[in-house]
Amino acid sequence: MAQQLKPGNRERHGVTKFFAWLPLVALAIFILTPLLSSLTYSFFRSDGSFTTSGLTGLADSGRIVAPLTRSLIVSVLAAVVLIATVVPAVVAVHLWAPKMRSVLSILCTLPLVVPAIAIVAGLSAVLRNLASHGRGSLGMELNAILQSQDLPLVLVGTYVVLCLPFTYRSIDAGLSTLPLRTLYESSSILGARMGTTLWQVVMPNIRGPIMFSAFFTFALSIAEYTVAATLSINTLPVFLNTLSSTNFRGSITLSVLLNLTTWLLLASATLSASRFGHRSTAEPEANVANEPRKEAEIS
Amino acid sequence: MISAPTDTRRRSSLSPAWAALAPLTIILALFFVVPIGGMVVTSLLVTGSSPGTSAFSTDNFTALGSGSRSMALKNSLLLSFTAASVAAVFGGICAWAISTVKSTVVDSLTAVISSVLANDGGVPLAFSFIVAVGNTGYFTALITAVDSTFTLYSVKGLILMYQYFLIPTMILLTLPSFVALKQQWREANTSLGGNSWTFWRRVGLPVISPALLGAWLLMFGSAFGTHASAAVLIGTGAFPLIPLEIAGQLAGSAATGGEGVAMALGVTTGVIAVIVLIAFNALTKRSAKWLNS
Repeated sequence: MAQQLKPGNRERHGVTKFFAWLPLVALAIFILTPLLSSLTYSFFRSDGSFTTSGLTGLADSGRIVAPLTRSLIVSVLAAVVLIATVVPAVVAVHLWAPKMRSVLSILCTLPLVVPAIAIVAGLSAVLRNLASHGRGSLGMELNAILQSQDLPLVLVGTYVVLCLPFTYRSIDAGLSTLPLRTLYESSSILGARMGTTLWQVVMPNIRGPIMFSAFFTFALSIAEYTVAATLSINTLPVFLNTLSSTNFRGSITLSVLLNLTTWLLLASATLSASRFGHRSTAEPEANVANEPRKEAEIS
Repeated sequence: MISAPTDTRRRSSLSPAWAALAPLTIILALFFVVPIGGMVVTSLLVTGSSPGTSAFSTDNFTALGSGSRSMALKNSLLLSFTAASVAAVFGGICAWAISTVKSTVVDSLTAVISSVLANDGGVPLAFSFIVAVGNTGYFTALITAVDSTFTLYSVKGLILMYQYFLIPTMILLTLPSFVALKQQWREANTSLGGNSWTFWRRVGLPVISPALLGAWLLMFGSAFGTHASAAVLIGTGAFPLIPLEIAGQLAGSAATGGEGVAMALGVTTGVIAVIVLIAFNALTKRSAKWLNS
């Protein structure tokens, strides 16, 4: 179609293209400015001399160790629990209860719109109610287990729920491209149990969505502030906020590190979703799904 | 489901299905359904006339109409409305620009960066803005030269900071629509004697406006519920917002009995969020009708 355009038109198109770069350059500046500012602040004093005091200040006071390990444990657990619960559920719905699929999809999307602050408000109401049963009661014990500073299970559960909307879709899309029933039946004919089938047959075929979910959940969990702060659980972001009043340069350094970590993780999540996703979906589609379709078209 | 012939087969195959569904169901129930239910119930309970009892009433909701709470609601609505509108304009322009330059580098960068930044909004974001344009920030003088009343710790500052995750959200949501605008429509417009102004006014904008409006709504909801970065920047009290008010009421509720009010605020946020989702779905369906055909 391009050759039919008048030369004036094409010239005008070139001008449009040039103008289209302007907002993109502006956006790039807007995105880079805060990041570069905090990076500069972390390593340079106001007179321009180089310093690593922010970085060493973090290591000196050992206070960072506990929140850091707590955050790491919670984030890893959240990622593992998410994958271990969502994958079987989605497989089950695909295999045995296709009618439940829309119910599951709605349930998994809802946390997207209900803000974290509302969920945590509800959580604290429930936790308080548990604690109100008095010392030694089951409710009190449950409350203590959930909110334990060593292993705050309440955070693991909440982060799984908060990440569900994003990861459910990815896993559901990945499984939709697989000939699940064939895989499941051939695997059970060969004597495999459900768990073995999931672990050895289904999981390797949805490596892309699994990696996406793991990276995404870890990244969101390690940077999450609202839930942890409201429940007074000292995770890394909560520590970061309290640190800012005593060691501002240290807190900025830590925030840059945390930011870069989450960005890298989220970027790898996006990349693994597209890269592995294409590879693993291309094969079964080319071999299994396309051929009958071709025959149908010919006949 | 109760049809006789397949009954036995179905029952035997249902048990692994439930076993596989159970873990997710338990997690969703414990950490989503029960808290939301608890929140709704608590928001409707007030301490009864005799101590230790409680009664159902809408007092907690009427309490939202007064004092700092109504202020917070007004601020939150104003902030979300303005922030979403600004992001819709700039993000829309950027999405158009990305679809126009047609550069593979820009496309792949956009795919990664926009999905990364759309999930930003935490403590590090607030810190990096404090360093960049806070009271003694590197670029504060640059902004106050344009607008002398600007401070980061105000509604203007929040709007600016929210753009950092709202503009990428806008691009993420609307770029597919801009890309899907068909070249044939443009050519038809040209051959009928139209210029690009007529194209956008008569064809382009009408076709993508549901997508734009849907994205605006989603950003409104996202800005309304943002807590972490606002909490770090504003703290409590200085500039009341609904999410900050919820956190504040929860922290002080042991003494002041603000728990019910906090729950009522939480319910309000949830209701706004659900309305946003329903409207967004309706709008997306509408725009899909044109763009995917």
